[in-house]
Order: sequence, then C-alpha cells, then structure tokens
Amino acid sequence: MASLAHEARDTLGHVACTRAPIDTAAVLAAVRHVAAGGNVLFVGTARATSDGVATHALHYDAHEPLALATLDALRREAIARFDLVACAIVHRLGSVPPGEASVAVATSAPHRAAAFAAAEWLMAAIKKDVPIWKAEERPDGRREWLHPESAPRPGGGA
Amino acid sequence: MHPSDDPHRAATLRIAVFAGMTEHVGSRVVELPWSGGTVADARRLVAERHPAAAPLLARSAFAVGSRYVADDDPLAAGDDVAIIPPVSGG
Repeated sequence: MASLAHEARDTLGHVACTRAPIDTAAVLAAVRHVAAGGNVLFVGTARATSDGVATHALHYDAHEPLALATLDALRREAIARFDLVACAIVHRLGSVPPGEASVAVATSAPHRAAAFAAAEWLMAAIKKDVPIWKAEERPDGRREWLHPESAPRPGGGA
Repeated sequence: MHPSDDPHRAATLRIAVFAGMTEHVGSRVVELPWSGGTVADARRLVAERHPAAAPLLARSAFAVGSRYVADDDPLAAGDDVAIIPPVSGG
C-alpha cells in the first residue's frame, strides 16, 4: 500500500491522523502478531460535558506534518522502551461528536504488563508533546481552545 | 525583470498559525515583510501586529517544516514556519 501524507508506517505498526471516524478494531488488528501475548487498545472518546458545561462536540486542529513526525517518534520510542512487538496510533482531527473516538492507541507485547504500561506512557506523551489542539464546541457554535499553561517542549518528539 | 527579482520588492515570511492563535490573529496565516532575521524577530513582529496574540505567543514554540527551532535560529522568506502554542491533543 502506498504511504499517504497523513500517515507513517513500518513493519512494527503505524501512526495516522484522520478526519473520518476512527476504525478502532482496525487499530487493534494492526498490532496483532504471533509473538504477542498481550494486546492493549486504548480509546479516548469525546465527553458530552466538560466541568459541568455542555459540549456540543470537540474540535481538533493539528500541524499535521509535525504531529505525524512526533507521533511516529513516540511510537518508535515506545517500541524500544517497552520492548513492544507492535504499536499503532490514530488521532482524529476536525469535529468529534460526544461518544466518538478522538484517539486510539494499540500496543502488543509478549506479556500484558508492557502493553498496558506502553499505552499509558504513550497517552501521557501524546497529550504533552504532539502539536494537536482541542477546542470545546458550545451548543451556540462558539469554540474554546485549550492551551495548557505549560509550554510545549521545543525540540521535543520529532 | 521578473517581479520576484526586484530587489526593492520586500520578501514575505509566511507563518502558519493554529487553534486559539487563529482567533487572535483572525487568520490561519500571518504574513510579515521579511528581509531576514531570527525567530525572536518574527515573534516580536507578530506580537506588534497582533497584540491580542502576545500572551499566547509568549508561551508558544516555533517550527520550520517538521522540526522545532530556537529563538536565535535564523528564518528565511520561503521557510515553512509555524507557531506551536501549548498542545492539548488526546
């Protein structure tokens, strides 16, 4: 399959950004391997409320080339750090209605502890280092962009 | 003479902006007249043109292509420059 501009892949998995709903079963299937004994799929979903305030949808923006490069660097680092068999990460962009997946991370390893630990480590790193931004869309259409007080790490990830 | 060869025609630095920064500058791109300078120079010029963006800009990084750059790194017209505010994906 030809490599697309919005994804990066090798024999140990792939990363992608998509404006369509995430096929979470496909993300999990991407890390299946006969060497794996533990397979973890984490799915982050859009909540209907944030701190008690109704959210019509979440909206995600990204610097796509830098986001993909950073996601791929994190995927490779997770594979090395946790001795994974495979790893796949897909992040949704654009509008995400409540209940739908905004991010899916799949990891596989010989034993479950490494697969769980790697998925948790990846989610923390994704939230800290990948140039993707979330806005809460109010019912009136107003968007409130979230920019945490801590600045991104220049030179981080990619 | 081709317009782009005119030495009196100011070159332009195009800077992509994202998320909350687009609301502060009213666009997804900021264009600065550019005869050379550093990231710090571009940072100062953007803040002068868009004072509302200054607080978020002060907490933002800059990138060229798919790598981050430091304040003392040079920028050239034609570079694929972006402002990267604090991230909130996931």
